[in-house]
Amino acid sequence: MASIETAYQILYLSVLTAFAVLIGIMLIRAVIGPRITDRILAVNMLGTMVICSIAILSRFLGEAYLVDVALIYAMISFVAVLMLATTYLPADPKNPYFPAKGGKKTRRRRFGPDENGKADGVRRTEERG
Amino acid sequence: MRTGRRTASVGRKRGGDGSMAEWIRFALTAACLIAGVFCFASAVTGVFRFGFIMNRMHASGIGDTLGLFLVIAGLVISSGISFDSLKLALLVFFMWFTSPVSAHFLGQIEYYSNRNLYRFVERKEGTDGSDDD
Repeated sequence: MASIETAYQILYLSVLTAFAVLIGIMLIRAVIGPRITDRILAVNMLGTMVICSIAILSRFLGEAYLVDVALIYAMISFVAVLMLATTYLPADPKNPYFPAKGGKKTRRRRFGPDENGKADGVRRTEERG
Repeated sequence: MRTGRRTASVGRKRGGDGSMAEWIRFALTAACLIAGVFCFASAVTGVFRFGFIMNRMHASGIGDTLGLFLVIAGLVISSGISFDSLKLALLVFFMWFTSPVSAHFLGQIEYYSNRNLYRFVERKEGTDGSDDD
């Protein structure tokens, strides 16, 4: 009968291997993500998996201080996502970073109707054409 | 039952002679960890298979909440009640508060910077009539 030590070690090693594979796959998404939000999402997800890996590693190695490392990693990962978000968020939401060519009316169109309550179809025909 | 707090030099397990309670605890730990890895795998699959960022956020939320909770719950079960487990529970608590904030910011960026949003998101009634794809 196998020792329970060995069973725990095999379990932790296999789970850590699975996490390593998943982190590698997520890194691919962070590289090929078509938009900046995809990359931020991939980095966020990757941070969560690294936190799980560090927590498992603290049990695997028997080092209790790695849990503190995981806590600090969670906080820093959150701050990183927050900094990226505030970097890429427009300062004035009514004037986005990528304005349309048509001017004010067409620029406001995707936030809803304009101030008269009407929505014009200029932007849509431009983009789909 | 292991109730004492363990230090780095002593090591992970005490005893380890394969009593029945220890094996039941191991089975619970293995079930929680494997379920957590499954949650993360499904989250990664969803992030790769979905085509739009809102759907990807939905998929990654599974890993951020349920996957992390299951993995940490497995570790807490394996170690028993200790100060370490309290810190792990605090980690879950923290991640459960920060993950929606991150998702909210991501959605905000996407809403304010994506000019092709109408292709993926339904509008409210009366704002626009472009639903033909």
